Amino acid sequence: MQKTTVVVIGGGATGVGILRDLCMRGVDAILLEQQDLAYGTSSRYHGLLHSGGRYAVKDAEAGKECIEENTILRKIGRHCVEQTEGFFARTHLDDEAFEGKWVEACAKVGIPTIPISVEEALRLEPNLSPKIKSVYRVPDAAIDGFRMVWQNVASARKYGGRVLTYTTVVGIEHSNNQVVGIKVRNTLTGEVSNIACDFIVSAAGSWAGEIAALAGINVNVQPDRGTLIAFNHRITSRIVNRLRPASDGDIFVPHGSITILGTTSASVNKPDDTVPNAKEVVELLNIGEALFEDIRSYRMLRAFAGTRPLYSADPNATGRGASRGFVTLDHAHDGLKGFVSVVGGKFTTYRLMAEKVTDLVCGYLNVKTPCRTAVENLVEDTSPALMAKARLYFPAYGAELAASRLGSEGLEKVIARIQEKPEKRQLLCECENVTMAEVEEAAADSTSYMISDVRRKTRMGMGTCQGAFCTFRSVGAVDANGLSWGKDTNVLFKEFLQGRWKGIRPILWGNVMREMELTRGIYEGTLNINGAIDNEGI
Amino acid sequence: MKKHHNNPDSCTACTVCIANCPVTAATRKFRGPKMVGPTLERMRLSQDDIEPSLEYCSNCKNCDMSCPSGVPISTLNMLARAKYFKNRKRSLRDWILSHGEKMAKLSAATPGMANFGMKMSRGILKKIGISDKAPLPAYASKSFSKLFKNLKQTSYPDKVVFYPGCFINYNDPQVGMDFVAVMQANKLEVIVEEGFVCCGSPLVVNGFLDEAEENAKQNVQILKKWTDKGYPIITCCTSCGLMLKQEYQELFHIEGVAEYAKHLYDADEFLLDLHDQGRLNTNFGTLNEKYMYHAPCHLRAQGMGLPGVELLALIPGLDVQDADAGCCGISGNYGFKDDKYDISMEIGSGLFKTIKESGRDTVVSECGTCRLQIGHGANVKTLHPLTLVRKSYEAYHK
Ligand SMILES: Cc1cc2nc3c(=O)[nH]c(=O)nc-3n(C[C@H](O)[C@H](O)[C@H](O)COP(=O)(O)OP(=O)(O)OC[C@H]3O[C@@H](n4cnc5c(N)ncnc54)[C@H](O)[C@@H]3O)c2cc1C
Repeated sequence: MQKTTVVVIGGGATGVGILRDLCMRGVDAILLEQQDLAYGTSSRYHGLLHSGGRYAVKDAEAGKECIEENTILRKIGRHCVEQTEGFFARTHLDDEAFEGKWVEACAKVGIPTIPISVEEALRLEPNLSPKIKSVYRVPDAAIDGFRMVWQNVASARKYGGRVLTYTTVVGIEHSNNQVVGIKVRNTLTGEVSNIACDFIVSAAGSWAGEIAALAGINVNVQPDRGTLIAFNHRITSRIVNRLRPASDGDIFVPHGSITILGTTSASVNKPDDTVPNAKEVVELLNIGEALFEDIRSYRMLRAFAGTRPLYSADPNATGRGASRGFVTLDHAHDGLKGFVSVVGGKFTTYRLMAEKVTDLVCGYLNVKTPCRTAVENLVEDTSPALMAKARLYFPAYGAELAASRLGSEGLEKVIARIQEKPEKRQLLCECENVTMAEVEEAAADSTSYMISDVRRKTRMGMGTCQGAFCTFRSVGAVDANGLSWGKDTNVLFKEFLQGRWKGIRPILWGNVMREMELTRGIYEGTLNINGAIDNEGI
Repeated sequence: MKKHHNNPDSCTACTVCIANCPVTAATRKFRGPKMVGPTLERMRLSQDDIEPSLEYCSNCKNCDMSCPSGVPISTLNMLARAKYFKNRKRSLRDWILSHGEKMAKLSAATPGMANFGMKMSRGILKKIGISDKAPLPAYASKSFSKLFKNLKQTSYPDKVVFYPGCFINYNDPQVGMDFVAVMQANKLEVIVEEGFVCCGSPLVVNGFLDEAEENAKQNVQILKKWTDKGYPIITCCTSCGLMLKQEYQELFHIEGVAEYAKHLYDADEFLLDLHDQGRLNTNFGTLNEKYMYHAPCHLRAQGMGLPGVELLALIPGLDVQDADAGCCGISGNYGFKDDKYDISMEIGSGLFKTIKESGRDTVVSECGTCRLQIGHGANVKTLHPLTLVRKSYEAYHK
């Protein structure tokens, strides 16, 4: 049986943050994730590293937490944060009186706001609607959920942290009101096993209620679903927020090659109710038009949805009214020692949440080492020498991105693959500029079991063609490399294409429709992956 | 296209453009139109980097023509090139090749001397990166505008405005004179504006986008003035025509282009239109001659079919065979460059072979640089279609 001191449940921002913090303080810990890392809300979100401007008026405390954490993460998270800065723009539809209140509230919690003329704003962001009335600059930034999660894990691993993916928690073992272990099931093999531990931290986000229920404890998390649209290109190089009381469809966030617009908000029953629908997409476009007039001429790539883990002590509070702050629930108060749930919060404040929880756990474990997650970089900068070397091997616009995804060690490995076989330099995913070598490196990682796992590590399949060309190429690469999980190529094809299809279905018109017909032609027509021809008995 | 940046969104990554790109077929140095155009456009909007193969796009526009989604792929490349050169020094070679008009004006006083100097200095040109094998054009002893000024036209109530362009003006004025003669034979008077400047095509391909825009503004103003008065504008150079009509709209945001573009014609197209209206002078004399025809890429990019072939078919006895063998490889000044010369000849090799195998010793084509390249690559004589039209009119009266 595996043994550890602390088991962390949940491979999202909160979980990986806690794992890193524990490991940095010298506590032995294992993180369990039912699917792949960042499978949950931490990749089905907007990716805005809030300056706090969005919360300042209504929830000054949340605003203050945001600006503090934003400042820390822009420093320690250089390789997953893009310092785009942000605009708050009031449109002709928005209440002028709110503007003054907002400026005042931001000042109170220390969020810098710099007014600029509409003319200047349009010069900086020419696609903005010329009808906007006033604009402020704020220190918003974009943060990439996948990379941030991976970089936290990479850092934790350096300190001895372990991660088990596709491992779902099915039971909490206790004796004499004290946690003694955890029961898990491997979701790929179905195998059930136990891990002995002294402490369990549930960072299961919207699933936190389900985890607590395994121990007969009630934690009131209301999953609140939000849908987002990813656009094919960078229609703005800065984050653009609507300057009005926080509402739906307010924010555009540029991420690398794409732009994300969101979000909606609706209570749902299940944490993985993440299938977006066309109605939500149309709503978002209608609202988004006030900031970007030409929004309908921009190609959408897909829609996606995640669920906010909204916590409330009052079971009747829902949606945006419920607290977006976070709480740490020590279940010793419910009669079970060695079990803590952390619920609510935001991606932006994940580090702070992790620090609070780790403080609590370390108190029990009598570990006195102070938290250093606010001062130590998530990953070290890639040396200029290595970057220069990478530029020799990666295609244009590829080296920097690869370095930020892979870190120095991974980058060296991928370079070595290209050195050994120069043809591996070719792009497997042309839209997102991912080389064959990098895909093979990601596929060979011990946490990869299907093509989507490779996608999350590389961004392969997340660009314009949404898998039309890279699906067969990546399946081919996995097959050619003889990877243990790559035997049934038909399964690999379907898993990946269905994943892409999920986000495409609600936006199936215009160019997306044409793209999908091309994809269908390739996979159903040429490659016959649905076996239509067999069925016809030909 | 909307607003101030180019929208790569219509591309479905289908790769048809790659299959139709003559440069990609000729060299692996070019990563292909889809990659360098719309795909990297998404990257260019998010990061700064250099795509080394961008310089290999010849702007021949076969990608744009083949794109089923209407993406102006080559224009994305040209804009990226301009962005690349925004803060970088240009080579002397690129300056010279882009500024044919300035060079011509400099040497206008003594064209004989300039040509003599040019022959002498091919070695020097080679040193700065212009191929010593490429078919550089010679300057004419008298420019078209000079010849035109001394020409007495018969005045007619119906008038057309002629945009000669640099090649006709400085290198091949006879085509312009043939054009005027053909117009006169159709009872049309030709107006040539002194204010016209280079259309900008050679500037755009070497990244001098700002200068090209200055030229565009000046030309647009004049073109608009004439079309507003109801006069059609006619070109005999298909690259100038494409630039004035279409590329201005893709590259710049100048008011009025869409309006005048409706009244801007290629000369052959214009004559065919007259024919459709029953107004063409069809007093064609018989020409018992055989020719090959080459359709310039920039003609095909305008989507008007092959008016030259249709027009010449009206001439009794004339046998014109369409080579239908793709790009000649020259693409404006692309094939003049030392490092592109071999690629350019490789691209044209199919066409040269077709021409040679036909056994015909003269090739007809609208584009001046295509004619140079074909003369060089297939070792044949070349003509503009209007030269034959004029010849046929003259044969009628003999
Ligand atoms: C639409 C939307 C937009 C958002 N935008 C922003 C934003 O721009 N900025 C911001 O700061 N915040 C944003 N948020 C909030 C933020 O995304 C979340 O607060 C944050 O990602 C939660 O992280 P987490 O780690 O707590 O949860 P999750 O990321 O959901 O992680 C929990 C993990 O637990 C795993 N799990 C569940 N059950 C089990 C089990 N039985 N065994 C093992 N593992 C299990 C899940 O698979 C999941 O991966 C947004 C949220 C939504 C929904």
